[in-house]
Amino acid sequence: MDNIAKNINQLIADGSVDIFIGYVKGNDNRAKAAFFNISDKVDNAIFDASCTQNLAVYLHKHEIKSFAKIGIFANYSTLRAIIQLANENQIKAEKYIIQTMNKDSQIITFANLTEVESYVQANRPAPAAAMIQKLDSLSKMDRDERWEFWSKELASCIKCYACRSACPMCYCSQCTTDCNQPQWIGVPAHGQGNFEWHIMRAMHLAGRCVACGECQRVCPMEIPLGLLNARLNIDIATNFGETAGMTLGADYALSSYKVDDKEHFIR
Amino acid sequence: MNELKTINKDKLHQLFDKLIADGNDVIAPKRKSEKVFFGKIISSSDICYDYIQTAFSAKSSVFPKCEELFSYEKNDNEIKHLDPVFSDKTTIVFGSRPCDSASFDYLKVFFLKENPDFHFAKRYDSTLLISMTCNKSDEHCFCTSVGISPSDTKGSDVSLTDLENGEFLAEIISDKGKKFVADYSSFFENKGDISQKSNKNAKVDIKFDLDKLKTKIKGSFDWDTWDKQSLACLGCGACAFACPTCTCFDIQDEASPKSGSRIRIWDTCALSLFTLHASGHNPRENQAGRWRNRVLHKFEYTDTKFDMVSCVGCGRCIKTCPASMNIINQVISIMEA
Repeated sequence: MDNIAKNINQLIADGSVDIFIGYVKGNDNRAKAAFFNISDKVDNAIFDASCTQNLAVYLHKHEIKSFAKIGIFANYSTLRAIIQLANENQIKAEKYIIQTMNKDSQIITFANLTEVESYVQANRPAPAAAMIQKLDSLSKMDRDERWEFWSKELASCIKCYACRSACPMCYCSQCTTDCNQPQWIGVPAHGQGNFEWHIMRAMHLAGRCVACGECQRVCPMEIPLGLLNARLNIDIATNFGETAGMTLGADYALSSYKVDDKEHFIR
Repeated sequence: MNELKTINKDKLHQLFDKLIADGNDVIAPKRKSEKVFFGKIISSSDICYDYIQTAFSAKSSVFPKCEELFSYEKNDNEIKHLDPVFSDKTTIVFGSRPCDSASFDYLKVFFLKENPDFHFAKRYDSTLLISMTCNKSDEHCFCTSVGISPSDTKGSDVSLTDLENGEFLAEIISDKGKKFVADYSSFFENKGDISQKSNKNAKVDIKFDLDKLKTKIKGSFDWDTWDKQSLACLGCGACAFACPTCTCFDIQDEASPKSGSRIRIWDTCALSLFTLHASGHNPRENQAGRWRNRVLHKFEYTDTKFDMVSCVGCGRCIKTCPASMNIINQVISIMEA
């Protein structure tokens, strides 16, 4: 990991970055987000299979945004989130030095987002077999069985909002669920409130979800939330030919329209 | 000296099955997939013994994530007020660790000391805590740093120790526990040797000096340590909801033209909404302020108010945190600041 530390130290020393976001060892076998030059020692920097957290979530955090020049050591899904955030005008590319490590353990520094785009397209991993299998079994269920499956899973939701907090695409300054005038969805973590929250979350991310799986990874109740997003990602790709975070400058399916869009579903 | 008995595993399971058959709720550790959670069991065979710590505490048995405080119905000109109905049966919580059981002593003070909370009191009075001392621990356990031990019995009604030979040593602690064991005396055996316990219980190293921390933390309010520590914090409520002593709640009214109810739900100081004023001003405007509140609440505020530190060292916040925050390391860094 010496070359990662050397690289970060160099960027800090020559003034290229004010803060560098990367990973250090965290609890158990997990990695933790690190904020070099501010709160973490560069010598502790790591980048390996344990570095699964999507660091793009910190790019829209108020405390991080205030830095002028930000470096980020991004894993694959962080790169996709960066593209999507740029597409949604949430980040300005000039502010960032974006790096990753390729399969040959070489550090890559992206000159611009077009290079990030080429990288994510060339290195897209195959979807996880377990996820595909679970989606398959869900789509084979009839409506009542699926309802029962989700009723049981969502009943355990405690509304801690870890799924929202960890999601790189959840950046609304006021979430609809926090709105009380009018109150759109039930706040208590009861059956209806939980359904409303998770359906809203999934729908708001339809066509925007970069499939990093953070919502599912962070859920303290082990609810397979990623299934909702994965299902919608498939539907969006099938119906609109779009995959979030893969193409620079792409519109996202559910918030753009063309005058010749089909309207046959309006009756 | 507590009264001692033993009970073997088969008898214990027969006891639980009888309690369930008699209409009582038995809450025990159950495996979901990777994690073990407290949950209502239908049969003693649902119980999971392979856990160091359940992912969530047992507090939901006395302080549920969502509970109706009252409801009303409206017909023509008549409004009917309805109190929630509490079961007259007992809720048996089995398998809580000493840290969890000790948290009940704090919950009792918080909910009952100054303005007794009717709903908590109802649930607490009908709950029996059959705890299980710890034969194993992990690196996130720090009960000994906050004055609790893996063999502790405080807060428990009956404390069991797994003797790892198919038998459990039972220490009968409270009056509630005495009554319970007397009612079901046929399941227990009148023997037991307390010296067997210390051979089985785990050793948990002291990770920090609590008295030093309490001194150091006073006057830490303006430190930049909080800014540094909280950068990784994502601002969700996972730590607080998993915590056995986090008791903050929100009240929500749900109403339709004909009926409605007032509901109490878990809330947490980690969320920005927690302190947001109607004016739009937020006195805790960033995550550093929220994180600081969590740590100071645990180690300073409740110590000042109730003479009790409100952290039992269970390590759940560490295991649950999506961003890998670690209270032990952070407390140590406060002491070194």
